[in-house]
Amino acid sequence: MNAVIGQAGVLLAFLSALLGIATLATGLVKGRPHLVRSGRGYTFLILAGALLAVGAMQHALITHDFSLRFVANNNSRSTPLLYTVAGMWSALEGSILLWGIILAGYLTAIAIRFRQRVDDPLFGWAMVTGFVVALFFFGLMLGPANPFRTQSVPLGFDGPGPNPLLQNHPLMAFHPPMLYLGYVGFTVPFAFAVGSLITGRLGEGWLVETRRWTLFAWGFLTVGIILGAWWSYEVLGWGGFWAWDPVENASFLPWLTGTAFIHSVMVQERRGMLRVWNLSLLIATFSLTILGTFLTRSGVLDSVHAFSQSSIGPLVLAFFGLVVLVGVGLIVWRGDRLRSPGAIDSPVSREGAFLANNLLFGAFAFVVLLGTVFPLITEAVNGQRISVGRPYFDRMTTPVALALLFLMAVAPALPWRKASTELLRHRLQWPAWGGGLALVACVALGLRGLAPLAAFGLGGFAAGAALRQLVLSARRQGVRGLLGRANGGMIVHLGVVVIAVAFAASASYAHRAEFRLNPGQSAHLAGHTVTYLGTEDVRYPNRLSTKARVRIDDGRVYTPSLSQYPFATQAIGTPSVRTGGFNDVYLTLVTSPEKRGGSAVIGVVIKPLVLWLWIGGGIMAIGTILSVLPGRRRRPTDAASAPVPSARADEVEAPDSIPEIATVPGA
Amino acid sequence: MTGFLRRWAPWLALLVVVVVALSLGAGRKNSHPTVTQRVNHVASQVRCPTCRELSAAESDAKAAAAIRIEIRRRVVLGQSDGEIRAFLASRYGRDILLKPPASGVAGLVWVLPVVALICGAVFLGVMFRRWKDRPALHPTDADRALVDQALRG
Repeated sequence: MNAVIGQAGVLLAFLSALLGIATLATGLVKGRPHLVRSGRGYTFLILAGALLAVGAMQHALITHDFSLRFVANNNSRSTPLLYTVAGMWSALEGSILLWGIILAGYLTAIAIRFRQRVDDPLFGWAMVTGFVVALFFFGLMLGPANPFRTQSVPLGFDGPGPNPLLQNHPLMAFHPPMLYLGYVGFTVPFAFAVGSLITGRLGEGWLVETRRWTLFAWGFLTVGIILGAWWSYEVLGWGGFWAWDPVENASFLPWLTGTAFIHSVMVQERRGMLRVWNLSLLIATFSLTILGTFLTRSGVLDSVHAFSQSSIGPLVLAFFGLVVLVGVGLIVWRGDRLRSPGAIDSPVSREGAFLANNLLFGAFAFVVLLGTVFPLITEAVNGQRISVGRPYFDRMTTPVALALLFLMAVAPALPWRKASTELLRHRLQWPAWGGGLALVACVALGLRGLAPLAAFGLGGFAAGAALRQLVLSARRQGVRGLLGRANGGMIVHLGVVVIAVAFAASASYAHRAEFRLNPGQSAHLAGHTVTYLGTEDVRYPNRLSTKARVRIDDGRVYTPSLSQYPFATQAIGTPSVRTGGFNDVYLTLVTSPEKRGGSAVIGVVIKPLVLWLWIGGGIMAIGTILSVLPGRRRRPTDAASAPVPSARADEVEAPDSIPEIATVPGA
Repeated sequence: MTGFLRRWAPWLALLVVVVVALSLGAGRKNSHPTVTQRVNHVASQVRCPTCRELSAAESDAKAAAAIRIEIRRRVVLGQSDGEIRAFLASRYGRDILLKPPASGVAGLVWVLPVVALICGAVFLGVMFRRWKDRPALHPTDADRALVDQALRG
């Protein structure tokens, strides 16, 4: 029953997408307004189909309907409810279903948001693009990634449950949906970009209209990546949060190009320049989300996330090729209209800073992409098997990240058009001293090493620059001075600084050791004492856990554990972490005692400032929300691309000098 | 000259402070590492053979523990980090090392990003030069009239 309803839902969504494409494309090409108008309605059918399919899947999971192969492989009668629900995205087919419903949700949202624009061909072509993406993903679910395959099971059958790693932390319920909201969200600006290329209306209108959508997608992607790092830290037990694993890289790549885009798009809004470049960045971002799906779901690359492998690889790769080809083809076709007459006067200007930002983010993305796929390349070229791991990524990305911190410190103070030395001397003085004092304080505290000290100093500089902008803006406008893209963006910058400092500190000043301890015995590491008290076995519905009781610094007792799941060959370790504002004490049970009262091996990792990674992520999320809220209302007659007259030089001082367009036609 | 000095004095002072702080702080963190620190350092550059992306320092898999024991044995014997890495590469294959080689085809992974960054920077430089040489557009009276009309309407 669940299978039939689910299949019907997928089929409904697939056919609606197909009909939507046919109706809209015919209407747009032949100029039939009634067809164009009715095409929009298919979004609601796609959403209905997706809801039906997800409803059937959730019903099957919750009622343990093992006649569905997906449920039989990823659920068990003893799986707790939270992980039963989250079981939908713990394997390939279900994650494609999650992708499908989020895409349907976004398409419905734009269909409602732009309902008064149904006659606009640009919007029509954007819908067609969205439908094509939906067609592909629902098509996958009809073919190789069918979540509703059935099988006959004997009476009393019980499944193995989700992968053990995916059922021992509640973050599992939030990290994948957040990440997918980000991934899929980039479909919206991509669709409008394609629409503007096809209609040849390459002005700044569509950019402004999709600006908030892009920011939302970017914010979700940011939060999704950070939640993923947190999950990795709390669950995987290796004492770290970022392993430069192919899947992490795959989620990071669109974030890098997306971040480049949300910066350089301001140059286009303001000056009408960089159109080709911005379109390329959008197409790169969207196609990288597809490439990420290919890399992580096809099994070509090993990864801790390769929870399931299937035959969808070639199809996804083909779709990736199609996206890139169509994107590049459209840009080449419209090349003559994309040229802009403007000129950037000086590299030392806001525009110049955004270009430098793009260069650095581009280099960052290139390093991550190259390092991720390079083992595949060498093996294909000359059969040489090599690994590209953390030492490579650390060495290559540290200089780029430091350069970005420096840029973050200088850029907010730069005016559009051209900056004079006098102006910079005046504006940067206090932020620069903030950085200098941060550096001195760190050296005085005994911290050593060039890279981390540079990160702390530049972090202080960048934080000073962001705070200066916020203080100036709040002084002029009160609380409203924190709203709007430029001001919210400064809060995002503060979050980035917090994360950069925490990342540098935790990577540079960690201590790790393993101790074989008898009950009652203590060990010391980096000023902390851990005392092993003994173990206890605890039986849960879905696992048998051996918990070690370990006292940290004569304080509370923590219980790192090893769990045996019924269908897993290896015991799964779960760390126990004492989180603190200054440092974390991270405990793992490496080897449980062979006999009662015997010795156990306890792993201890001391990492500074890890908590601040998550706090920084929270600050970035808050900043993103503030930047989406409308800031100072702009007079509708202000031209977005007008140069700032020099007579209003003091106006440039304000961080909100970037035009805010709060009213969108049709709002 | 005195005006220049007065204006830039805070910056010059900052420069001195930063240079002094960095020269104090940038020295090697630790010139005499303990055995455990050396084991951790070498193990962090070696892949755990049975798990995927984690290093032998981080992984709790049995194979990673075996590698750590082997590294410790060799550190105590007085072998250098390079000798231990070479041994591990000969025993488990080149791809045990997480750092790609700097020579041959594989060396491209180090070179290509630098080349790309330089190309990007040169391209930007050329564009800036071209933008600079382009004659500035000055609005004509007709343009101004058009704008005034649009603003009034």
